[in-house]
Amino acid sequence: MTSKLSLGGKAYLALMFLILYAPIFYLMLYSFNSGDSMSGFESFTLSHYADVFADTRLIVILLDTVLVALLSGFIATVIGTLGAIGIVSVRNRWWRHTLLSLNNVLIVSPDVVIGASFLILFTLIGAKLGFASVLLSHAAFSVPIVVLMVLPKLLEMKTSLIDAALDLGASRRDVLTRVVLPMIQPGIYAGFFMAITYSLDDFAVTFFVTGNGFSTLSVEIYSMARTGITLTVNAISTLVFLATLIVVAGYYWVTNRARAAEAEVRA
Amino acid sequence: MKSLIRSSIAVLVACALLFYASYTLNATSNAGGAGVITVYNWGEYIDPDLITQFEEETGIHVIYETFDSNEAMLTKIQQGGSAYDVAVPSEYMVEKMAEEGLLLPLDPSKIPNLAHIDPYFLNLPFDPGNRYSIPYFWGTLGIVYNPNLVPEGLTFDSWQDLWDPALKQKVFLYDGAREVVGMGLNSIGESLNVKDEALLRRATDHLKTLVPNIKGVIGDEITPLMVNNEAAVALTFSGQAADMMAENEDLEYSVPREGSNLWFDNFVIPKTSKNIEGAHAFINFMLDAEVGAQNADYVGYSTPNAAAMELMDEEVVTDERFYPTGEQRKNLEVYQNLGPEWMGKYSEYFMEFKMAL
Repeated sequence: MTSKLSLGGKAYLALMFLILYAPIFYLMLYSFNSGDSMSGFESFTLSHYADVFADTRLIVILLDTVLVALLSGFIATVIGTLGAIGIVSVRNRWWRHTLLSLNNVLIVSPDVVIGASFLILFTLIGAKLGFASVLLSHAAFSVPIVVLMVLPKLLEMKTSLIDAALDLGASRRDVLTRVVLPMIQPGIYAGFFMAITYSLDDFAVTFFVTGNGFSTLSVEIYSMARTGITLTVNAISTLVFLATLIVVAGYYWVTNRARAAEAEVRA
Repeated sequence: MKSLIRSSIAVLVACALLFYASYTLNATSNAGGAGVITVYNWGEYIDPDLITQFEEETGIHVIYETFDSNEAMLTKIQQGGSAYDVAVPSEYMVEKMAEEGLLLPLDPSKIPNLAHIDPYFLNLPFDPGNRYSIPYFWGTLGIVYNPNLVPEGLTFDSWQDLWDPALKQKVFLYDGAREVVGMGLNSIGESLNVKDEALLRRATDHLKTLVPNIKGVIGDEITPLMVNNEAAVALTFSGQAADMMAENEDLEYSVPREGSNLWFDNFVIPKTSKNIEGAHAFINFMLDAEVGAQNADYVGYSTPNAAAMELMDEEVVTDERFYPTGEQRKNLEVYQNLGPEWMGKYSEYFMEFKMAL
């Protein structure tokens, strides 16, 4: 496809990527600065990374952040996938649209509102803020995203496939596990990875529901930045960026494998 | 389906491993069984080695959490979902929290190191008799400037220097009603706690004559601007000025002689505390002379701990910019809680001034 781009088009594309990525690379470059600020690059050092790894609290927060992302992504994927299947199976058009709109409202409503409402809810039922409250709210705001990622796959699936399977003697359970789920598998993975990225970079909701010593990276970095960005922040951000790259690579690996398997079955 | 099951198992195993790793790391930093305290402090406002030292000495495990504004901290404590044992609010917030019944009275018998605090910093109007609070760090509001970027001879030992015609479009102010209107009042020789419409009017009119010199009214963004020689003069807090000066040696800090604000961040024990003994032990530990000196070296703010000051670098504690002498302190005032009605008036006058920009 790139070969069809004109020279101007390529230049434009390159410029756009440069603008989008330059700040990130600037930040990463300074994480190796031996100076104390971003005002001038002195010489190469890994000491800021050493600082990160020497700070047990920071490492615990890093691990907790990943743990919350993975686990909330998992919970959201299970609930969201079932939800999407439920929405598609609604026959009444009006009902289906209403359900879908209710789902979409949750995606567009501001994080601050969602965060505040969770805080009120947890206070009301007297729950202790901490790991559980963060995990539950992350899972909750990720569900609509998973639904949205799985839905197109379900819609492009031919209903005749299900009818055929039923005709050939498959039980409803078989239809779900052997026909529907394999067909929408790429959507499920996409939803899972989207949920992870949403959880990793969420600040507003998490800010409201953390407490009792539990914190995630975005909230912690925000507190640290208050007294001026230290290069430790650059070092953690670089690590997080690399982790995100790994997640993206993982996503492509899984979907490519799924696609290859699919092609094999068809062949 | 098989692939989905396999992926799910992989994710759950990864979660279990992460949970195990984070749990064991938390446990290794937990020295013993003498309980846990949760400390709620400003970001980057303590030497982390001291927390480890406290844990080793007492066996109390410290959960350390940070906040970025007094208001954020107040909300978390009011909400009550977290059991904070020690918090560090600023002076006006101590007063407010005490009024709302959010603080537990301190037990001086459990804080023998209280004797190390300079009596000048005790029994202040925001907490008479130090019933609820003990000062942690203190400082002033003043002017940080870059001598290379302002005309020679300007030393800002008077607020009037800000009005110098040579400073056209060079002055940055801190974005706070109390700070700016207070400075206006100080500059016409009045107290920064007045409750008098006529004086506020005069102060605001005087501030408006400063407009041609003002480049911007901003918050923490001022630090990089001053450090990188991109701004010449700024109204700022001494702690922030110390941070700037650590990175740019050319900068100078001055507290004008007409008077200015004196601020405190203080240890308190919120009502949410579940380990009151541990909280007292922590405060007492932080007031130790050696600990206080090490912490002040690390944080770079002015300590009220007289015993700690003796152990610190002579050059630091005799620096009159950050440790003003008795004579200089005379005109410094703590912001009193003016009540919502007068706070609203200060905000209105500040808005009026900002509109004139």
